[in-house]
Amino acid sequence: MITSAAVVPSPPLLARDLTGREVVLPELRQACAVAVGRLLARPADIVVVVGAGPQTTVWEPDGRLDLSAWGPTVGSRGGPATAGKPGLPLAVGLGVALLDEAGQVGPRLLQAIDGTATVASCLAVGAELASLGPRVALLVVGDGSARCTPASPGYFDERAEAFTADVEAALRDGDMAALAGLDATLAAELMATGRAAWQVLAGAIGPQRRVPGDMLYADAPFGVSYLVAILDPALAHCCPAVPEEAPT
Amino acid sequence: MTSDQAAPREPGPLRLGDRSFGPGDRLVMAIVNRTPDSFYRPGITWDEGAALARVDEVVAEGADLLDVGGVPAKPGQEVTAQEEIRRVVPFIAAVRAAYPDLVISADTWRHDVGRAACQAGANLLNDTWGGWDPKLPDVAAEFGAGLVCSHAGGLPPRTRPFRVWYDDVVADVLDTVLGLAGRALRAGVDPARIIIDPAHDFGKNSWHSLEITRRLTELTATGWPVLLSASHKDFVGETLGAGIEERLAGTLATTAVAAWQGARVFRAHDVALTRQALDMVAAIRGDLLPVRMVRGLT
Repeated sequence: MITSAAVVPSPPLLARDLTGREVVLPELRQACAVAVGRLLARPADIVVVVGAGPQTTVWEPDGRLDLSAWGPTVGSRGGPATAGKPGLPLAVGLGVALLDEAGQVGPRLLQAIDGTATVASCLAVGAELASLGPRVALLVVGDGSARCTPASPGYFDERAEAFTADVEAALRDGDMAALAGLDATLAAELMATGRAAWQVLAGAIGPQRRVPGDMLYADAPFGVSYLVAILDPALAHCCPAVPEEAPT
Repeated sequence: MTSDQAAPREPGPLRLGDRSFGPGDRLVMAIVNRTPDSFYRPGITWDEGAALARVDEVVAEGADLLDVGGVPAKPGQEVTAQEEIRRVVPFIAAVRAAYPDLVISADTWRHDVGRAACQAGANLLNDTWGGWDPKLPDVAAEFGAGLVCSHAGGLPPRTRPFRVWYDDVVADVLDTVLGLAGRALRAGVDPARIIIDPAHDFGKNSWHSLEITRRLTELTATGWPVLLSASHKDFVGETLGAGIEERLAGTLATTAVAAWQGARVFRAHDVALTRQALDMVAAIRGDLLPVRMVRGLT
């Protein structure tokens, strides 16, 4: 059962060493740190990191990001050792880095989810994660559309505005049905790489549930929608369940 | 190599005044000439007020040291030691008063000028004319100053190369500068304060200057810190067919090529641009963190 969940984005620039001398987006970094701090504040038997990867698979719990893939000289300067093992997928690795920075020491499970996975399989992976134990903390790493503005990596797509608004509302309201209902094709076209991970979150908390949510950061400073949120299913008894059926 | 020459060494810190610079540092040596007739922009710092203002400017632009000269390299009206001292020494004293920690180099071949410059606060003697005055190393040793050991092809000060030729110009440069470095060591100059300089254009035609640039690694491989003095010089102009005001790109290209090969001190008129070129090379080499990287990382 998921006792707390945090949602953070996964731009490589969150890896401090990759941005050079300047700290880029300190407010985003701060929001991520606060979110992870609140995630870990609630006792948990295991912390699960979920983020997009080339395929759906569980990585070894001591895995790390290999920064040399993004900054060859940065990787060779050091950073967290990958000990010759292949580096984690970006989103999973950044989540691990946030846990490391927060000083998390207990058991970890690192779950990559195929970024093209169907809604049903994302929900199923989420349900499986929720069953890992009575107290599971979930760190969901993924991004919104990379087509928010003409300066975006994927240029501008006018559909991004409504999509972003929908995701923001879903996270702010803890509306799992809305997350589960996101259209995978549209998300892919909008370069929203977090879609699959968010639907794992919906599956883990329960695709019909509405839980208390708190948005800590919602902006697109480089034309990519970054969202930082906290969800608190342990307090869900205070909130009415969403009456609709889960999407099929 | 003869036994009188300085042996190759492990690269180590370069000490100038109270400062210490690591082998990965690339220093900009800003030129401030106290002459009315130097080859590039003659007379711009002839006036003492203008010269002091120029110091403020180059320090703000990131200069690591100054090079103050009172005699142009080219032939011309005689400048006596007394006149050279009059031009340079009170100015060095004024700069020293304004900037207690700034490294100051005196560009002179004369030991009596060097002595007066060190007494006024100079930390380095830039002996561009290749050890013409054998007493100069004694002055450097006496004051704990540094010494630039240069190759001028054996020419007397303020003379131009005339049909000069070398079997191998780089070998000749190495023989000369290591010989001068050996002489400096025997005089008691601190080995951490000795710099070698192939001295582009001095006793060389422009082919020779291109050759020493292309093969600069043979100098840097000695482990002694290498000075590049190429700013706006004739070899750049002749190579590019560029007039005196059109040599900036060629100067910066030479700077980058020398920096890539490990030169550590860069004598420059254009301080900010030289700093930027050197920082770019340093970042490419992985010696300097870039300022701000976000492209493709968002």
